[in-house]
Amino acid sequence: MSDVVIIGIGIHPFGRFEKSYEEIGADAARAALRDAGVEWSQIQSAYLSRMYLPATSGVRILRRLGSTDIPITDIEAACASGGAALRQAVLAIRSGEIDLALVLGAEKMPRGFMDPSMIYSQWQIEMGMSLNPAYWSMRARRHMHDYGTTEIQIAKVAYKNHRNSVHNPNAMYKKEFSLEEILSSSLVCDPIRLLEVCAPNDGAAAVVVASEQRARRLGAKAINIAACCHTIAQYSADFRCPADSMSASANNPGPTECTAKQAYERAGLGPKEIDLFEVQDTDAFCEIEIYESLGLCAVGDGGRLVDEGRTEIGGDIPVNVSGGLISKGEPVGASHLGQVVEIVSQLRGNSGPRQVVDAKVGIAHVLGAGGNCAITILKR
Amino acid sequence: MTTWSDKVERKRVPICEDLLIGSLDELNQVRLVGSRCSACGETSLGRRNVCPNCGRETVSEIPLSNRGVLWTYTVVRHRPPGNYKGPDPFAPFGMGLVELPEGLRVLTPIHCDINRLKIGLELQLRPVVRKDADSREVVSFTFEPIACKEIQI
Repeated sequence: MSDVVIIGIGIHPFGRFEKSYEEIGADAARAALRDAGVEWSQIQSAYLSRMYLPATSGVRILRRLGSTDIPITDIEAACASGGAALRQAVLAIRSGEIDLALVLGAEKMPRGFMDPSMIYSQWQIEMGMSLNPAYWSMRARRHMHDYGTTEIQIAKVAYKNHRNSVHNPNAMYKKEFSLEEILSSSLVCDPIRLLEVCAPNDGAAAVVVASEQRARRLGAKAINIAACCHTIAQYSADFRCPADSMSASANNPGPTECTAKQAYERAGLGPKEIDLFEVQDTDAFCEIEIYESLGLCAVGDGGRLVDEGRTEIGGDIPVNVSGGLISKGEPVGASHLGQVVEIVSQLRGNSGPRQVVDAKVGIAHVLGAGGNCAITILKR
Repeated sequence: MTTWSDKVERKRVPICEDLLIGSLDELNQVRLVGSRCSACGETSLGRRNVCPNCGRETVSEIPLSNRGVLWTYTVVRHRPPGNYKGPDPFAPFGMGLVELPEGLRVLTPIHCDINRLKIGLELQLRPVVRKDADSREVVSFTFEPIACKEIQI
């Protein structure tokens, strides 16, 4: 089976802009093509990851790059859309049908809480059970009850990620906050606070993907896609579905556990062999739970990992050195590809003050509505 | 004697079909309805044709117990987006998963002082009536601590 590699990356900063999604997306796509040294006319298939944009957005964005007749397909899998789109490109290249593809993630979202009618029933909206952070918060509360995780440990994750973002010109906030500022920011849904949640915003990220042979012929610098997996949560296994009831007895592993198991197997690697992690910190608690689900520590020990500083940029398992979604914001369709761009840049050794020393392998992880989870493992 | 207009005004509707069981005119008789699967044994909220766990059609309707225990909770501090029909002006409210004896945890608003919320709190179902602008009466539900009424006095 042929290896699939990334030969070009491009990103449009995440934030809020007086620009159309077509312009934002096209900017990232052009940057990725330029970085790969490839012309748009050479691309054989393109995929757009997006959730909140209209139908055929991929065509609307990429038409700006010039006339083409290649298939351009929009892919949606909530917060995991980017992983789902990248996976389609990987499968197409592995099949031998094509050997050069563009995967773009783009989004433009209104300020504030996300439109609930996209994922909740009308009666849940009328009763007020349609606030995404409420679900993350209930999970946090239970974890605190079961394992003694504290509000301070949760705040420390937000502190770390905001501080990391100071060195990321593509992040929305780029601002360090003290632990006191985070702990005194207003509660969104107890125990989760304003400076501990990510905001929906605008942004785009793109990668040019090729077969290893094609990359060699092009003379491109290649980063290997060691795994690109996508699963959805099994029955009653995740809080983000959202469900109107959960089972008290079903014991299915969560979506991150299932996707990670697949991805580690495909890559032939375990969590100890990975140098950096970009994960779904939709809220600061979520990152703690993901440490456990990715196997970075035992279940219940996520808070301790934070206290020991192991997930900081200088720690032995750096997580979200880009600043994470908490500081970058979450343009849903673009977020996973933004993580992939970050890791490729890190593996190339091009990340400046936030560079993880001698990074060889990195993981990008996203998790969202419908229990959609995607994990990409990249290797140099 | 009941007039036609009285009847129209008094007609109550459930907030969602297939969620409640019992006459809506006698609120203390209203229960949540669940679907129990005889094949896999799982029970889920609402009247369903297929089991959300095993996908079989071996489900039957059961009234769910009106008492349960709070498994986890949060406080919604901001007005939820979209067509929220709660009090105006908005007041923060509790929301949680209530574990029922039938083996499921139901997502519900919780009607009590938010400072009383605690995992393990014993709760009971409280069907509530909301009057819409067209004076239609809509029956929805909340859970409240079992001794709530006495404490409020």
